[in-house]
Amino acid sequence: MTTKIIFSVILGIITGIFILPETMAGHIGIMIDIGLCLLLFFVGIDIGKQGDIFSKIKDMGIKIILVPIMIGLGSIVGAMLAGILLKIPLNQAGAIGAGFGWYSLSAIELSKYSSKLGALAFITNVSREVIAIMIIPFVAKYIGKLESIAPAGATAMDTTLPIISSVTDSDVAIISFISGVILSAAVPIIVPMFMMIS
Amino acid sequence: MNFLIYLIILALGGYIGYKDILNDFVNKRIAIMQNYALLFILFIMGISLGIDNHVIEYFATIGYQSIVIALFTIIFSILFVKLISKKVLQREERITNDN
Repeated sequence: MTTKIIFSVILGIITGIFILPETMAGHIGIMIDIGLCLLLFFVGIDIGKQGDIFSKIKDMGIKIILVPIMIGLGSIVGAMLAGILLKIPLNQAGAIGAGFGWYSLSAIELSKYSSKLGALAFITNVSREVIAIMIIPFVAKYIGKLESIAPAGATAMDTTLPIISSVTDSDVAIISFISGVILSAAVPIIVPMFMMIS
Repeated sequence: MNFLIYLIILALGGYIGYKDILNDFVNKRIAIMQNYALLFILFIMGISLGIDNHVIEYFATIGYQSIVIALFTIIFSILFVKLISKKVLQREERITNDN
């Protein structure tokens, strides 16, 4: 499945660059939305088959909140360390990391301060999503199921949720969705906060 | 699209799965349909990246920095989750054993 995932993304990128005209871009967004809804519906069926979801969430307890908190902290610390290496101001690197893979929103927020920073946030978070799609199956297999949510960041509730669900189990899929929702809600708050520190 | 729509769709699927509404024929094929749908949407997502000239343009100039930051965010978020995964999963394993 991992090879097929990587192959599909690369084939798509090549098709987009060399075959399809840019005028198709508008239709592609709609296709992604429809496909995503279909996939989430399937993920929902999988979760539902496992039994009472609400009592499972209740039994898992408040500890599952630790997952998005640690993903958020890890993303920001990692981005800041990369910022030191690349000589990017710490607050800017932190703001890019706090995009948590949500490239459109983080890029829009940071474009208000500088177009270069907006572009960097955009490409960094696009790269994060693409890398996440490719490595989630490896992380789930060789590091751990819960850890496989980490690369996804905010996308754990949508684009990468079907991958996480297919390589882990329904409990991890539930944690993934909750984690993605919390991280997505945090992006518009944390990104501007970092830019205020200067 | 926002998380409320996703939540409604997940809940709808969850309800159908929980109530076991679908017949055996569909049930047996769901995993296959899911895999094909996943690969198709990943292909479309790939197209959306490749078709956008800005992505390619930006990538040529700031791609190196972007990949370094993206890799660091991924590696450190995995390491940070690793610190708490036992704590979270211990509880989950106990629930599974109880069941």
